[in-house]
Amino acid sequence: MDNTVLTYSPAPHLKANITTRKIMADVCIALLPACVMGVVYFGLKALLILALSLFSAVASEFIFLLAAKKPFREIVREFDLTSCVTGLLVGLTIGTNYPWYAPIFGSVFAVVVVKMLFGGTGKNIVNPAIVGRIFIFMSFQSVVGEWLAPSIGPLSGQSPATGATILTGILNGTPSPLSNWDLLLGTGLAGCIGETCKPALIAGGIYLAARKVINISYPVIYIAVTGLFSVCLSGFDFSVFLPSVLSGGLILGAIFMATDYTTTPDTAIGKILYFTMLGLLTAGLRYATKMETVSFAILLMNLLVPLIDRFIINKPFGYKRKKKEAENG
Amino acid sequence: MSIIKAKRFPFGSPVHGTKLSRFAEINNVPAPEKVYISLSQHIGAPALPAVSPGGKVKKGQLIGRAAGTVSANVYSSVCGTVSEVTELVNGLGQKQTHVIIENDGGTDEIRFEKISDLSPQSVIERIALAGIVGLGGAGFPTAVKLSPKTQLEVLVINGAECEPYLTCDDRLMLEKTEEIYQGIKIMAGAIGVTRIVMGIERNKPLAIEAFSKYEDIGVAPLKKQYPMGSEKHLIYSTTGKKVPPGKMPFDVGACVQNVKTALAVYEAVALNKPLTETVLTVSGRGVKTPKNLRVPLGTPYSYLIDYCGGTVGNTAKLICGGPMMGKALISGEHYTRKTDSGILVLTDGETDSKAPSNCINCARCADKCPMRLMPMKIERCALENDFAGAEKLGAMNCIECGLCAYNCPAKRALVQSIVTAKQKIREMKKNG
Repeated sequence: MDNTVLTYSPAPHLKANITTRKIMADVCIALLPACVMGVVYFGLKALLILALSLFSAVASEFIFLLAAKKPFREIVREFDLTSCVTGLLVGLTIGTNYPWYAPIFGSVFAVVVVKMLFGGTGKNIVNPAIVGRIFIFMSFQSVVGEWLAPSIGPLSGQSPATGATILTGILNGTPSPLSNWDLLLGTGLAGCIGETCKPALIAGGIYLAARKVINISYPVIYIAVTGLFSVCLSGFDFSVFLPSVLSGGLILGAIFMATDYTTTPDTAIGKILYFTMLGLLTAGLRYATKMETVSFAILLMNLLVPLIDRFIINKPFGYKRKKKEAENG
Repeated sequence: MSIIKAKRFPFGSPVHGTKLSRFAEINNVPAPEKVYISLSQHIGAPALPAVSPGGKVKKGQLIGRAAGTVSANVYSSVCGTVSEVTELVNGLGQKQTHVIIENDGGTDEIRFEKISDLSPQSVIERIALAGIVGLGGAGFPTAVKLSPKTQLEVLVINGAECEPYLTCDDRLMLEKTEEIYQGIKIMAGAIGVTRIVMGIERNKPLAIEAFSKYEDIGVAPLKKQYPMGSEKHLIYSTTGKKVPPGKMPFDVGACVQNVKTALAVYEAVALNKPLTETVLTVSGRGVKTPKNLRVPLGTPYSYLIDYCGGTVGNTAKLICGGPMMGKALISGEHYTRKTDSGILVLTDGETDSKAPSNCINCARCADKCPMRLMPMKIERCALENDFAGAEKLGAMNCIECGLCAYNCPAKRALVQSIVTAKQKIREMKKNG
């Protein structure tokens, strides 16, 4: 008793068994089904893209910190897996029609410019993976070939799906050869590596909700509002609900990108507002631009988060509005 | 019959940590050779010494006289000779006047005269005389709390004991059921209320059963959730009343008393005994046999730890109170006070000391905050010395339960920053 050195620190003396690294590891695990299905559908090129984007994201974080003269051991100790999530998401949100070196540019830009230059984990003002994806999307337009459909499904015998994704077809009123089941399972659906097989994404979402990493109601709000607003914009044609919900990057974006902690509001009311506005913006932009807009909608809403947080603040327990009190007294 | 339904409790979160000593009966600890009785065991002015060195005292003799209304009498817990009345630094690093008494092993005990009538006035006078303070931990003089300016509607009895590890209230409710019940009735009579509700967490089914046999007490089995025992939240879950920010329980007509206080009231009024002992839990993986003890005031903590078989393994932290709100001690040379409810000896594996990393804005702190504050924002203000901003965000409403820091994945010192902000805000107001 007498010889022990006691630690002196303020309460609480217990801490929950949860760390940033564990949360990010859960997100990586939740992304695995989508990665596996991406490789199954799109072949080894998909594996190459995922591996390169993951590797370059992690490597760029390490190189940045080493260049900032942080000891290697400390970098390893504080490594929180956020760049793994960023890297995987960048890889999952581009198609196999991109050149193999494209994801490297995207990951490096996402991690170095969007995250590290702003101060690292938690300090970024927009979602790194979204910006990385948009960076590739903008930069490689001239060298990108046509979107490729996976080797399974109704289009498998044909040449790559012509010109654009199915979503563009729907928006332009071109009849789609795919059923809603194909849209759900991603069979024959051209698109990004991670966004075609919805059951894999939904499984990841359920895992995250079960691990209490995300609250599943927020992505559901986003997806539902997008679908319903699409119905409104198409003149109350309810047959567009499922195609607009199931196509493009909506489910991937809603579950894994829009829910990014750093770039969502702090309060429950703020979050409901944020995800509702995301839904309206996604559907609205889709109809206005005739192209997929999930990533742009998320980027725009990310920038509005500080504004939402400024005006929507929790009221303490027991708080009554001033007006009410005046009535009572 | 007298089980009432608790309100849904959407605050807080469960916390881990086991109640190691829940089946250990309360042992009476023999008084040590020397007791160090602090004259400042309550909120308010320290008591004034009523004895001088060399004087003989008996158990139950007044040694510290209350200095004003918000203060409390202090009685000797042993028979013996006063060796010193001096300023000592206790294990919390506070300098307080202590009366040091050498125990001569005598068994004489001074008691009050039998109370003449059970009128509210004489009961409250007796409670003040006996030096009873809020034994749940706050240490506010009970007599003052029982004489509010407005008529109260309901007496809320706190048997929640939501802190992990602590089991002394649970054991008391089982072993002293009738005495606590009598104490509750005395207090209800003193404030003139007939409605009595009692909140007990569901992890104490035997205590719930024990008290549900009384027809005039409504026992509300509460969800096992921290911080259920917080005054404002206990009032909400047992009666549905919400105490507005900055207001006190009596503003909504409620008075909250701990079960331990109820027992002390019973002993003072029915048995004519002054408050000379407290019941506490010695627990943690670092102590050999976790126990519940009835301890004479002023007993050194090191003596109590030795009484429980001493320490095992590597002691990382010594804590006075529960693991969520208790204070770390700088040494075992700390002396039992009226308000103590636990001594924890925590080992390296039990207590966490990871370095903080960047806030990832996950909002877990805000989601779990029982007061619906936004700890991450208040912390940011505090770190930037923007205390006016912290006040605007409601920092003064913080009950310092520690859930924000408990749930933070980045291990940030959230509640600690808020406590600092509160101090600074108070200073700011004082200086105008």
